[in-house]
Amino acid sequence: MSTKVVIKQSTYFDSVSLMSLSTKANQIEGVEQAVIAMGTDMNKEVLKNVGLLTPELEAAKTSDLMIVVKAATDELCESALIAIEELFKKKGGSKSATEIKYSTIDSAAASIPEANLAVISVNGAFAAREARKALENDLHVMLFSDNVSIEEEIALKQFAHEKGLLMMGPDCGTAIIGNVALCFGNAVRKGNIGIVGASGTGSQEVSVRIHDFGGGITQLIGTGGRDLSEQVGGIMMLDGIKALEEDEATKVIVLISKPPAPSVQEKVLAQVKSCKKPVVVYFIGGEETAVLEAGGHFAKTSKEAAIKAVVLAGANEDELNKRALNWPLIEEVRAKLSPEQKYIRGLFCGGTLCDEAMYLAMDKYEDVYSNIQKKADYKLKNIHESKAHTFLDMGDDDFTNGKPHPMIDPSTRIARFLEEAKDPSVGVILMDFILGFGSHEDPVGVMLPAIIEAKAQAAKEGRHLEILGYVLGTDLDTPNFDEQVKKLMDAGVTIASSSTNAGLLAREFVAKGE
Amino acid sequence: MYIQALSGDAGFLERLARANFSGTVHSIFERTINLKCSENGELYTIGNHQLDNAPNTLIINVKGFSELGLSVNAPVITKEDSSLVMGANIRIWTQQATKWEGELPSYPCDIEGVDILRRNVAFTKNYVDVYGKTGGMKMSSQPANPFEKEMSRMLIQRAGMLSDDLANKRIESATQHAISLIGLGPGLTPSGDDFLVGLCSVYKMQNISSCLSCPFFDEIVRSSQALTNEISAITLKKAAHGQVRESLNDLLSCMVSGSTEELVPVLDKIIGIGSSSGTDILLGILCGLERNLEAGGNVCLPKS
Repeated sequence: MSTKVVIKQSTYFDSVSLMSLSTKANQIEGVEQAVIAMGTDMNKEVLKNVGLLTPELEAAKTSDLMIVVKAATDELCESALIAIEELFKKKGGSKSATEIKYSTIDSAAASIPEANLAVISVNGAFAAREARKALENDLHVMLFSDNVSIEEEIALKQFAHEKGLLMMGPDCGTAIIGNVALCFGNAVRKGNIGIVGASGTGSQEVSVRIHDFGGGITQLIGTGGRDLSEQVGGIMMLDGIKALEEDEATKVIVLISKPPAPSVQEKVLAQVKSCKKPVVVYFIGGEETAVLEAGGHFAKTSKEAAIKAVVLAGANEDELNKRALNWPLIEEVRAKLSPEQKYIRGLFCGGTLCDEAMYLAMDKYEDVYSNIQKKADYKLKNIHESKAHTFLDMGDDDFTNGKPHPMIDPSTRIARFLEEAKDPSVGVILMDFILGFGSHEDPVGVMLPAIIEAKAQAAKEGRHLEILGYVLGTDLDTPNFDEQVKKLMDAGVTIASSSTNAGLLAREFVAKGE
Repeated sequence: MYIQALSGDAGFLERLARANFSGTVHSIFERTINLKCSENGELYTIGNHQLDNAPNTLIINVKGFSELGLSVNAPVITKEDSSLVMGANIRIWTQQATKWEGELPSYPCDIEGVDILRRNVAFTKNYVDVYGKTGGMKMSSQPANPFEKEMSRMLIQRAGMLSDDLANKRIESATQHAISLIGLGPGLTPSGDDFLVGLCSVYKMQNISSCLSCPFFDEIVRSSQALTNEISAITLKKAAHGQVRESLNDLLSCMVSGSTEELVPVLDKIIGIGSSSGTDILLGILCGLERNLEAGGNVCLPKS
């Protein structure tokens, strides 16, 4: 065994960052133990007790940060320390030497005249100003930052509209432009279907399903979550439809959003009506009639949206594997659950995935609670306490204020999962695992110990605990889709083939007396 | 750049009003900046709008600090109009800031009040059991490595010994066990320090039933200078003088007079502090309150 030490003098990181770095450092391949802690006497005493104290560490001061790595060989220690240093650099925002750094958007635009898009992720206080600068430099904008006022959003979108530019965001987390995923997105095939989405994970899901059904994407244009509000008026969605209508490569357009404000829906559907290309409309929980009257193709679920899009784009519907619900499996699970096990608990990283599963459950059950419920009576008053069927969007501000998103740091979801697993009234726990750019490097791996523990505990108590997992990703994504699915299956998790099927399976598993 | 201060510790604002503050930037985080004051050597904090009021702290109207372009050791001065200038061009206006003066609530002195407190302590214990974060005083069922396991073991053991000493009025031994917690634990503010912040906040409540003498607190303040980092030491020092952040005052007020429904959001806010810091503080508070409930009536104040 070899132990290596680095002391960072007078270095402070906040506790959340330190714990997150420490967790990641312990997951580095080959590392038996990694410690990142302040150099206090008491912490040195702990190191002594576990046989890791060295003279170098003894000399550390209370304001110093101690990094200790124990691994089988010197080489493994060295490479782990390099990996930890990289983690610190990422935390500190350092960039690799191969990247060119510009101080301002103006200088970047002047130096790269062929650039036509700026991705902006800065403090919300400065985001609108930077976005305006980019638009003034004739750059389309994807604005990842949130905390931009609605007045600023309207002004930016109107300005972009006048200049014929796209203003995606603020708070736009997903886009695929020119086959490059920006921020959170999946690796999908290039094709002839264009998407305009106001829902991040909803757009990811539809793009992934299109890929799964053999289709491909031209562009995925994000709008930001507030675009279809009364105030903003859907400026970006309308411009997005227009851009895709003018794009020769795009044959079919898909719109994804939560139901828009009525006046905005009217405007969007008017544009759908005048659009020369077929438009599939997936407004989660929305009504069919108005869409059909506008000549659009209504989709009730994300899977239906993808199927309709690929068929409209030229696929032969009869040849599609639509991945029908597995009814023998449903019967099998129903038989394993006791009469008391009648509730679904959905723990989601993706807001739209949560929404879709919730709406599908609401089609069948009354008592469906959530932190994102629109029905006031069924909105959870205490988000830490589940009631009846509960669907939690754990990426919502309720859970992420001051903490990383669960797609990056899964600890909050792990703790909640273990609690739900103890509840004897729970029949099925449904979870999403999101792969792709921007996500956790091993979303399944971090949940596995908890899944195994919960399954074992339930078995000890003579209960069957049904865990239903949905892995959102493609065969082109990193980490490897098949490996992620296999890990779950090996742990006894049932796999759903889509967000839609996940919601349907969950609700059918717990149905009684049918 | 001009930024408006929203609220601030009354003492800090008065110091700024007297133009009696100069120093340097000590450390920069996403939601806080610490300043080292040249006049008294203490650390002062500038916090973003998501943070609550706290001793030596000014809350300003920004979301984060990493993009402000400030660097450690940048000079900080006060202008005659009470504004605080950090680095080359960040100026904080303080004239409109609301003054905040934290005050710990009184420990209940009647049976009804003690019953409410007893009920809320039991509720909080269960709540921490279920929702408290592991990694510090609350041991994880799956520690990441032997270091974390040993750390939690030592924290729990030492806090237990301190608790026993307090229950049995062994003040000298309690002082030594309190000191043995300082600087022990992961995170920027070690878990042992956080536990002591919670404990001190209880024993500094007005009319506390089982009071501790000044040397106990003096020794914590003195030892913290050498045993923990400056950022944690100032928090501990203030707590030892009965000055804690607003959310802790709110929690203790709710513990002595609130319903369990009112307690839940306040507990959530505390548990959300840092990584495991909030949980560690809560465990310190619970330890202090339980020892006082066990002590029964008021054993400090002269009986009337």
